[in-house]
Amino acid sequence: MSKTRSITLLIKQAPYGSSKAKAALDMALSAAVFEQNVQLIFMSDGVFQLLPDQQPAGILAKNTSAALTALPLYGIESVYVDAESLQQRNLSLDGLAIDVESVSTEQLATLIHESDVLVTL
Amino acid sequence: MNALSLPDGRRIPLDKDGYLRSLDDWSIEVAGTLANNENISLTDAHWEIIHLVQQFYEETGLAPATRALVRLVAQRAGPDKGRSIYLMKLFGGKPALTVSKLAGLPRPANCF
Amino acid sequence: MKISLLIMSAPGENQSNQSALSFARAALDAGHEIYRLFFYEQGVGTGTNLAVVPQDEYDLRAAWQELIQQHDLDAVVCVASALKRGLLNEEEAERYERPAANLAKGFTISGLGQWVDACIHSDRLVSF
Repeated sequence: MSKTRSITLLIKQAPYGSSKAKAALDMALSAAVFEQNVQLIFMSDGVFQLLPDQQPAGILAKNTSAALTALPLYGIESVYVDAESLQQRNLSLDGLAIDVESVSTEQLATLIHESDVLVTL
Repeated sequence: MNALSLPDGRRIPLDKDGYLRSLDDWSIEVAGTLANNENISLTDAHWEIIHLVQQFYEETGLAPATRALVRLVAQRAGPDKGRSIYLMKLFGGKPALTVSKLAGLPRPANCF
Repeated sequence: MKISLLIMSAPGENQSNQSALSFARAALDAGHEIYRLFFYEQGVGTGTNLAVVPQDEYDLRAAWQELIQQHDLDAVVCVASALKRGLLNEEEAERYERPAANLAKGFTISGLGQWVDACIHSDRLVSF
């Protein structure tokens, strides 16, 4: 696997209620292990994955968001959040569990346009 | 059934590939005996890494892959230890897999 | 063009599994090459050989199998997705001591690395 691709995961699902959050995380980590340029964009209900102190044991679920703190260790530095999605949910950047860059819808379009691969989860 | 025989005579059930059937069975003695089976004799240097990986799993729910393990060790135990050659000297050719196994982390689905 | 498909829905779950099949057929008909089919999440349900479909409904799994065999396609189901949903080949059934294997002919089980490899070696990855 010699060539490097820029792979964007557009993460739109809430952390619980489906297995999509875990699916996105596994994809991100695998692509990073194989030294691809991974870019994560949290959008819509996906922004809820960024909230700190989640305690899903009560619904028999594993806290997949906890793994987000390990992204830099896997070499994943490009993590974005859609500003409008945050605003619509009355959330702010400083209340999130990890450092992310807030971007406008126009900037998102550019990020996606410049990617080789896009997967929406 | 495959089992791990501890020095005190207890037998801990293992699966076909030598992983713990129940993670609740993990203990310091279990780790030591699992390590002996892989021709590793656990020292303080080993335990430093095992504890780091357990702590990382506690925080993130992840068993670190090779490169992440190297970075994790570099961050928390210093750059002289955060090198794959150091980890391979302690844990053999596949340090990330071996440490996770000895630390009592869940068996990875994707082991090939 | 070299194309890979990422299929994340099971047959009958919604439209997308069937759309993937139609897309694969259309791509091959148009002369494109399919580098890999990667079945992920619920998509791995495509690979079971135990599903029974009512006689008056379209059997998507049979259609996938036929397409895969006819064009000798590389059809990979994700091992992590497959194991937790009860889809196993002989090797995994033996490894985890399960009473049966149910992976249909033409499919293989492997890791997400095969998806990454498909991203690298295809001109396009199309997800369903």
